[in-house]
Amino acid sequence: MPCACSNGNTTLVYACSGAANTGYLADQVARALAKEGTGKMTCLAALGANVSGYIESARGADRNVVIDGCAVGCGKRIFEALTIPFERHVMTEYNVEKGKTAITGDIIMDVTSKVKESICNGK
Amino acid sequence: MKIQILGTGCPKCKQLEANARAAVAELGIEAAVEKVIEIDRIMDMGVMVTPALALDGTVKSAGKILTKDQIITMLKGGN
Repeated sequence: MPCACSNGNTTLVYACSGAANTGYLADQVARALAKEGTGKMTCLAALGANVSGYIESARGADRNVVIDGCAVGCGKRIFEALTIPFERHVMTEYNVEKGKTAITGDIIMDVTSKVKESICNGK
Repeated sequence: MKIQILGTGCPKCKQLEANARAAVAELGIEAAVEKVIEIDRIMDMGVMVTPALALDGTVKSAGKILTKDQIITMLKGGN
């Protein structure tokens, strides 16, 4: 079911998709948010690679939601370097330990639900 | 110079195209204005929000209806 907060607005969702379990969770949460209609998932790597279409789309979006896996904050760094406004969620702030927590379907659903609630409440 | 207007044909896309054509006419420059309406081509250029405008293959704007004057500035080399 589409999120009511996304009605009429363009929300783009970016996942760090890093190599660790937290990057995998970030990717899965972003895909779940896109599937539910909370936002459109697009490529963080393309922003880092300075692909013009992705950069201008981020500038033109109403909201950019970055799902970072851990405190390294690659997504945050990319957006800050481009000076494009964004909001951010970090998977290690959802009781997930980098390199240790096994990412299950239940964890993906739980974190997706919490991130979605935060997005829809404008936090 | 090639100007591409990316969008599936909504009124905003048509307005952006009209503004681009007006900018080209006012400057009196040689420029081809191409409409890109195929979603696959739009996605291949990394555009997630339309309308978008590209100059010589580089996307300069997305999700905005640039005015004629803004496009003139862009065509003159400004941002």
